[in-house]
Amino acid sequence: MNSSSPASEDEFLVLDAVSQHFDLGKHLFSRASKGVVKAVNDVSLSISKGEILGIVGESGCGKTTLSRTIMQLLRPTSGRIFLEGNELSALSDADIRGQRINFQMIFQDPYASLNPRLTVYTTLCEAIRTRHPGLKGEALRERVVELMRTVGLNPAQMNRYPHEFSGGQRQRVAIARALAPEPKLVIADEPVSALDVSIQSQILNLLKRLSAEMELTMIFVSHDLSVVRYIADRIAVMYRGQIIELGSAEVIVDDPRHIYTKALMSAIPLPDPRSERERERILLEDEPSSGDPETGVSEGDILEEVHPGHFVSTRPFDRQLKADRT
Amino acid sequence: MALLDVRSLTTSFHLRSGIVRAAQSIDLSLERGETLGIVGESGSGKSVTCYSIMGLIPQPPGRIESGEVHFDGQDLLKLSDEEMRQIRGNKISMIFQDPMTSLNPYLRISTQLTEAIRVHGDVDEKEALNRAITALEEVGIPDAPKRVQSYPHEFSGGMRQRVMIAMALINDPDLLIADEPTTALDVTVQARVLDIIKDRQERLGTAVILVTHDLGVVAGTCDRVQVMYAGQVVESGDTDQIFYDPKHAYTRSLQKAIPSLKAKDEVLYTIAGTPPDLSKSVAGCAFYPRCPFPKVKEPEGPVPELVELPDGHCLRECGYCDRSQPIEEVLAQDVEEDVQ
Repeated sequence: MNSSSPASEDEFLVLDAVSQHFDLGKHLFSRASKGVVKAVNDVSLSISKGEILGIVGESGCGKTTLSRTIMQLLRPTSGRIFLEGNELSALSDADIRGQRINFQMIFQDPYASLNPRLTVYTTLCEAIRTRHPGLKGEALRERVVELMRTVGLNPAQMNRYPHEFSGGQRQRVAIARALAPEPKLVIADEPVSALDVSIQSQILNLLKRLSAEMELTMIFVSHDLSVVRYIADRIAVMYRGQIIELGSAEVIVDDPRHIYTKALMSAIPLPDPRSERERERILLEDEPSSGDPETGVSEGDILEEVHPGHFVSTRPFDRQLKADRT
Repeated sequence: MALLDVRSLTTSFHLRSGIVRAAQSIDLSLERGETLGIVGESGSGKSVTCYSIMGLIPQPPGRIESGEVHFDGQDLLKLSDEEMRQIRGNKISMIFQDPMTSLNPYLRISTQLTEAIRVHGDVDEKEALNRAITALEEVGIPDAPKRVQSYPHEFSGGMRQRVMIAMALINDPDLLIADEPTTALDVTVQARVLDIIKDRQERLGTAVILVTHDLGVVAGTCDRVQVMYAGQVVESGDTDQIFYDPKHAYTRSLQKAIPSLKAKDEVLYTIAGTPPDLSKSVAGCAFYPRCPFPKVKEPEGPVPELVELPDGHCLRECGYCDRSQPIEEVLAQDVEEDVQ
């Protein structure tokens, strides 16, 4: 691996040429292959401890598949994943299960990811005991109280059920549950997309504070660039299973190099009528809608470092600029 | 005279647990070719207002308690179901947030589009199909003559929303109500869909009500904005007035709570607490418990009326808080305890 590659071995989490391909199976009679969906294709990157990496992209770009692959919920088709130097992708299924308490996820809809029949207390106890099986009684209770305080919940509400909380509070419960097993890595998959703006800002501030206080390493997946820009240290832009641009949050937002990133940035509506009236949209032609799932970004060279820490894909890009407005 | 003129529209839901006052004394008016944005958080009454105008409130449990909805000279609330059906989908049409739930998954697009045409006009099948194809072409669906025979699941999310727009616009309505039309879409697709609506509006002079929680979408598309909170309009005015000279404490707090792309390391302010329970009556000001400004006196009595200022900017001036300080100084930067 050369030095300009975005992945280096001594980092906290390292992905080395990770791919996740889904075989569509064979046709019934001809036995010809229906093709392969390359949901994640040759992704290399590394995350240092305490960093928040944002992954953005449109629906279907592979951002969720990538996070599931990192968590080893899906074993990668090829490539290697290291956590603190241990190769996760080489572990057996049984060993992976033991490793999994090191990863926790926060999902978009906390109501769907919390058990509606368990009180907050029971939910958090269960999660704490995955790490500390022997903990019980007053010590366990103290830990629950501490966790609830950390995420800004009133510990007096520990005997409530998820439906008794508002949307924002429920997301706080989900965050507390994710932090309970003292994970090494938290993957937040669209954690604020379902929340109202006034609540969204509360949760974003909470996540940012937690990552600073607890040195939490986090992967923050979202389609909302302004949210990612706010919370992430670095941003990776994904398109068709590949990272096409990677750099610090400021650089990606203020000085995007790849045409796709530029188009994505220019499509974000700004809450400022004057600049909305003046700005130019960069529009791309529609995605080729051919049935062949293998089309898309073609193979070729990987990321090129245009500035220290700012990587842009040099692969040929299949979409043209649109000349005029729709 | 305005195309749509809504006067003190009040809609509530009578539930076993109590009466939820979802929209309280809503006033709005809209000229031809104009776009009105309605912004607010979930539960603020944006959709209920639109559904009331469309006559789509399920009654019971819903009840339109009072008000008038004048559209093109008629009071829509006084029309029979049959008369209303003649207007819906013809003179007024609506686009919903999730196209998959509003398209029939069992029917081809052609069936659904031609039905919309033939219900409202004496058109033969062939002519209707041609109009359906033209409508799809106008919203930028490639290969429309072939695609018109597809089923909804064969389209991607953005394409499906375009089909919805084509269907809503197929009878050239005078008024289009779009309820969060782009919330479920990617930003790039959202930009496209908004452009299509704008383009149709410019050509046909359609009036549009755009309901959204995204202030960015409002900034780019609307002429005027109404801000709703807890079932009430708290402020309304020109888009520029609302964005550059917001007056109500809620509007000002809301603006500071959205992460901006422009400024570096700007602090994200938060509004403490959660929206109020609409089944309980509020005294004075619905936003009072969350209001970040210094409180002057305890709220009491009925909520004050929406008052129009000389420049056309409307405001529900409560007088229970002192809004002279800049919003940055009073808003919390982090809400530690989120206690109900």
